[in-house]
Amino acid sequence: MTVQRAASSFRDPSGFIFERDGVLLRQVNHIYRAHYEQLMSSGLYDGLVRDHLMVSHQEVDDPGLQHTDGFRVLAPERVPFVSYPYEWCFSQLKEAALATLDIQARAVEHGMSLRDASAYNIQWVGGRPVLIDTLSFERLEEGAPWIAYRQFCQHFLAPLALMSNVDVRLAQLLRVHLDGIPLDLTAQLLPTRVRLRPSMQIHINAHAKSQQRHAAAQTKREDVKGRFSLRALQGLIDSLRGAVSGLEWEPGSHWLDYYEGDSYSDEGITAKERVVRGYLDELQPKVVWDLGSNTGRFSRIAAEVADVVVSFEADPAAVEANHRQIASSGSTAVLPLVMDLTNPSPGLGWANRERAALGERGPADVLLALALVHHLAIGNNVPLDRLAEDLSGLGDALVIEFVPKEDPKVQVLLGSREDIFGTYHEAGFEQAFERWFHIERRDRLTDSARTVYLMRRR
Amino acid sequence: MKRFLIRTGFVLHMSLLLSLLAIGPANAYIDPGSGSIIFQAVVGAGMAISITLKLYWRRIAKFFSRKP
Repeated sequence: MTVQRAASSFRDPSGFIFERDGVLLRQVNHIYRAHYEQLMSSGLYDGLVRDHLMVSHQEVDDPGLQHTDGFRVLAPERVPFVSYPYEWCFSQLKEAALATLDIQARAVEHGMSLRDASAYNIQWVGGRPVLIDTLSFERLEEGAPWIAYRQFCQHFLAPLALMSNVDVRLAQLLRVHLDGIPLDLTAQLLPTRVRLRPSMQIHINAHAKSQQRHAAAQTKREDVKGRFSLRALQGLIDSLRGAVSGLEWEPGSHWLDYYEGDSYSDEGITAKERVVRGYLDELQPKVVWDLGSNTGRFSRIAAEVADVVVSFEADPAAVEANHRQIASSGSTAVLPLVMDLTNPSPGLGWANRERAALGERGPADVLLALALVHHLAIGNNVPLDRLAEDLSGLGDALVIEFVPKEDPKVQVLLGSREDIFGTYHEAGFEQAFERWFHIERRDRLTDSARTVYLMRRR
Repeated sequence: MKRFLIRTGFVLHMSLLLSLLAIGPANAYIDPGSGSIIFQAVVGAGMAISITLKLYWRRIAKFFSRKP
């Protein structure tokens, strides 16, 4: 029996997450017992699980598992793929924020309150944001302020305000500031016209100034108990909901005509779809990673067979478009994420182990790498043998498209630089990849010099 | 009524703004926890008033939108 505690689960004395023989479990400690019992008996848990706002769990009848301070062990539903807020597009972060406020409003109705409003407690299941931290609730202390208000503003409101009003790429500040973007920094970055809006003035600007003013104070919420009525708490939730709802971001239109551009004719793209669909039918993967997915056209094809398709793309506008198509296409197995493959998410937080690097979250059953090789090999100078080796660490099988030098897209990449890529041709590509993979099939695409391969890891 | 609500919101907003203009520069060490708690105690009354007015307004609007 191997028991391993999750590297990210150490802050909360109420319990922790661990794995036993590959099964995900959560210990609830005695200190949290009263809160847990209220969560389960008040109807809050049932309502949240029914409406897909929280992961479900089973109580494990196995007292031998428990440590001395353990009260109960739960087996939570496992989320298909763990992602982080710095990998989400604008609408994903906004939906996660609104879900958090919905959960808090329901908790208040059931005499409870969220004591954490961390964006890391939200994960994506079936295209929806759900709360994964069962121990986030506490019994409502009437008259006391919302303890998670600061965290909500830093994890959700601040990045959304910056993405909406300054630049969508500022979401990457979350990668540096793991407890959310500091409010004084947000206030400095927001343009004055935005900062003067009532919602921003209150929750960002005045809030930041209050933090600075009382920095040396040692005020606990007991000290101001009685000064924050239940109505005030409801008003705060309503005000935050209004602030979040009022933030919008529309992606530019440059991605819209990507597939209609000069890369493929109609027959070409249909042929490529047929080839990829055929490979996936043969492979029958459960988990697919679509690397460089653009707006997710091939992710949705993969979702016809796979349970989970993680759709990685560096352009936040393309990820936004991909996410918006999930509702209309019904491909809820697809999880679009913002990921620059030349600099994927690293291990972050305490000991670099609180937030997992991309490579630690695999391997996938199948990697899709369509119209990608030239960006990595020529755009980013990654030698083909290195590329083959690194991809072999991420997935068991590979569906990959080779885009030769004569292709117009490669010509654009080579247009502004010296051609130092002597081995960048089909034979060189196959030689580099055969060291790490068995090449099982190759199909030349109609109307282009591109070839799609099916490979399996050696 | 709607104008009254907007005006009330504006007055609350301006008074908050004025009360916070006179704040000095940030300290190097910041404990944001206390400030967030004190801040809620300060704005709590305003939050309670605004949601109460909103709920009343909805009830009134609903009453008048009812078909005879």
